[in-house]
Amino acid sequence: MRAYPLVVTSLVATGIVAVVAVGCQNQHEANQEAAQKTSLGASSSVQDLMKARNLSEADVEAALKTYVPTGKMDEYYIFASGGQSGNVDVIGVPSMRLLKVIGVFTPESWQGWGFGGESDKILEGGNQGIHKIRWADMHHPNLSETKGDYDGQYLFVNDKANARVAVVDLKDFATKQIVPNPLAASDHGGAFVTPDTDYVIETSQYPAPLGREYAPITDYKAKYRGVAIFWKFDRAKGRIDPSKSWALELPPYTQDLADAGKLGSDGWAYINSFNTEMAVGGTMEGKPPIESGASQNDMDYLHVINWKKAEELVNAGKTKTIAGMRVLTMDVSGPEGVLTLVGEPKSPHGCDVTPDGKMVIVGGKLDTHTTLYDTAKMKDLIAQKKFEGKDDYGIPIMAFKDAIDGQVEIGLGPLHTVFDDKGGAYTSVFIESVVAKWSYTDLKKPVEKLKVHYNIGHILAAEGDTVSPDGKYVVAMNKMSMDRFLPVGPLYPQNFQLVDIAGEKMRLLADMPIANAEPHYSQMIKADKIKAEKVYKSGTNATGEIDPNRVEGGKERVVRNGNKVEVFMTAIRSHFTPDRIEVDEGDDVTIHVTSLEAAEDQTHGFTIDMYNVNVSLEPGKHENLSFKADMPGTYPMYCTEFCSALHLEMTGYFLVKPKKR
Amino acid sequence: MASKKHHVHLQIAPPETPARPAWDNRRWLVLALAVAAAGLFAASFFLPWWQFVLYAPQYPNGLTLVISLTGMGGDVHEIDLLNHYIGMKHLADAAPVERHLAGYGVAAIAVTVLAAFTVAGKKLNKLVYVPAVAFPVVFLADSLYWLVTFGHDLDPKAPLHIKAFTPQLFGNGQIGQFETFAHPAAGFWLAVAGVVLALAATLVRTKVCAHCKHAGTCSTICPLLMVLPEKKGPEAS
Repeated sequence: MRAYPLVVTSLVATGIVAVVAVGCQNQHEANQEAAQKTSLGASSSVQDLMKARNLSEADVEAALKTYVPTGKMDEYYIFASGGQSGNVDVIGVPSMRLLKVIGVFTPESWQGWGFGGESDKILEGGNQGIHKIRWADMHHPNLSETKGDYDGQYLFVNDKANARVAVVDLKDFATKQIVPNPLAASDHGGAFVTPDTDYVIETSQYPAPLGREYAPITDYKAKYRGVAIFWKFDRAKGRIDPSKSWALELPPYTQDLADAGKLGSDGWAYINSFNTEMAVGGTMEGKPPIESGASQNDMDYLHVINWKKAEELVNAGKTKTIAGMRVLTMDVSGPEGVLTLVGEPKSPHGCDVTPDGKMVIVGGKLDTHTTLYDTAKMKDLIAQKKFEGKDDYGIPIMAFKDAIDGQVEIGLGPLHTVFDDKGGAYTSVFIESVVAKWSYTDLKKPVEKLKVHYNIGHILAAEGDTVSPDGKYVVAMNKMSMDRFLPVGPLYPQNFQLVDIAGEKMRLLADMPIANAEPHYSQMIKADKIKAEKVYKSGTNATGEIDPNRVEGGKERVVRNGNKVEVFMTAIRSHFTPDRIEVDEGDDVTIHVTSLEAAEDQTHGFTIDMYNVNVSLEPGKHENLSFKADMPGTYPMYCTEFCSALHLEMTGYFLVKPKKR
Repeated sequence: MASKKHHVHLQIAPPETPARPAWDNRRWLVLALAVAAAGLFAASFFLPWWQFVLYAPQYPNGLTLVISLTGMGGDVHEIDLLNHYIGMKHLADAAPVERHLAGYGVAAIAVTVLAAFTVAGKKLNKLVYVPAVAFPVVFLADSLYWLVTFGHDLDPKAPLHIKAFTPQLFGNGQIGQFETFAHPAAGFWLAVAGVVLALAATLVRTKVCAHCKHAGTCSTICPLLMVLPEKKGPEAS
């Protein structure tokens, strides 16, 4: 009996604990809600605001469609070519806010990309010949695909100026590899992936002898060549494997854009070209410049490539090795049906396969049409060897009329085409400065046009070059901005214009100045497909591996071996250990530094003043910095990222004792 | 009731063994409750007992510290890192002996609870619930001890000098920019449930013993299963 009060007391106590626990949770939520509620200040109505800011109803609607309030996220990522910046711009849609600039071909000092750390090795991997190449003309980012759809794992980009391809891992949004093309002197038709990312295609632009050896311009026709590299991608390793890659020799027409077939046309690739006239200029000798020499023919050639067959021939050893790469030469690829040509209207530019894989759409540039090539018809023509002739290199040519499905009158200077989910095609029309919407399933449907500002180059759509476009947004990538932004001197920003394509008519929603370069192609992927890491596993280096020299807390040390000094350092709020390094002039110094941070967004940086070294230490990141202590003196070293309240105290000294002279 | 008992007596029970009254089956209930209480204690060993969540502007999702009987989980690294600014010891330095012995402790408690209910007699039978109640109470007292110790043994050379304090064991508090919330977790609740069951067992046991013919005269050790009925008769139930 005496236990009754105890039971009651115990139950009451339990109840109180539960109430307190629940109360705590609610109070925190209430605090947060209170913090989010802000006053509008003056009680201005929407109409008053519109009047004061001179906004139309359409403006307000566009604002509502694109505004992403704090705490909310964008729906899509754009991975945009950073053009001459050599780096990739990552942009959120629909807000059109810049989220990140990924250091790729060009040193990027915030990320410590190319300033003495591990990333130097990746940049070194992209050197061509004897030159340390540290700039790029980035053109066409391409996301990795599985069954023709973006899988959000990797991004490939090419450098037109120096013929290189880079691999960016989307787990950490960092570049992992740069592969230099050993054959071409420039590239353009890249980086385009096959539907399962077996290959990353990189096609040359301006012909040159394969391997870039010297040949007088008079030997253009005989010795200059185009080339398409099929870089083999090893998905498990997340790297291109150059030893398993191969190339296709192409005629010295200036190959331009490329795309891989999909679904029914999987196994095929399409590359267009201009200057099939093989004009070589000579303006100083009174000859016409290349621009006019290259524009004489009414037709150029679309290159139709059976890459599955090419792969078989490569595996069968039918190749010639040039500059260390296996090349399938034209004398094999032509007769074997690997390489076939078909005419395409004057100086084409865009070359885009429709989502269903049935058509290749070529934009005319100097022709007012887009032309639809039927991939199935072309396959049959090649199988039946139904050709109208051969070019000077013995490559068979299909008859234009046999290969096409039709043409659509678009306007002045149609370039690139992207797609929605309802058979809609969106073509950038350069000279007219419009986006033209038409139907690739019903060529009779009228063309709708939307003015853009100005000189639209590439165009992109939400997942718009996959087997399943989303049909939500299009972005016009305009080369000129003219009167759209505040003046910033003679070099103007580029202009990305977001277009709503979900409705019956296209609607312009927002402008975004691109302030760092002239971008080319870009792709837009649904945000939930990207699985970005928040922190690194402790000791991860730039390659994504755990570095053998990673440093654990408490195991910091300085190891001297002759004139080699190795410092094993850690960084954590708000100190480096060790925080004093003393070496002798002339010592070879290596600093292995690991961030012991494990919390999201707790980044440090590490620099030694005057030594041109700077690395970014994201949580868990490891860096190895090697340099010669060739400048005696007293140099502060410090954390370059405002990491904590005691950030300024996160410092130390690098002392270089002068040699006795 | 009476007729049913009579029926059983006639049909099944041998005449020389007096039938046990219905209330006598409650001995099994006592045992079942004690076993369940011991089981809950054992289960609580594998679950977190307490949880601290700290919110600050730069930690919108909070930092969590989960305490179990053998160790700590959650954002230990980050909390240690922050604590170093005020010169607090590493969390791993807290309650090393307790955490080391926790496994044996839980086993001992479970065994003691079972033993108390099954063999305690005479005066001890009034205290059978003590080990069960002591279990979570000792945990709370020990936790409080370590919070006081940690909050008051701050390194004077730390970058930030703050007044000694006791982190909140229960409910919400504020330390610097941190809002803190501390509350029990599943393991603690299981232990509390164990206590409730043990107290219920005590009640039932008190009744059972009241009916025992040895009531008041039993020895210190009196196995529950040996309790014999019929001191006061079945109508007492």
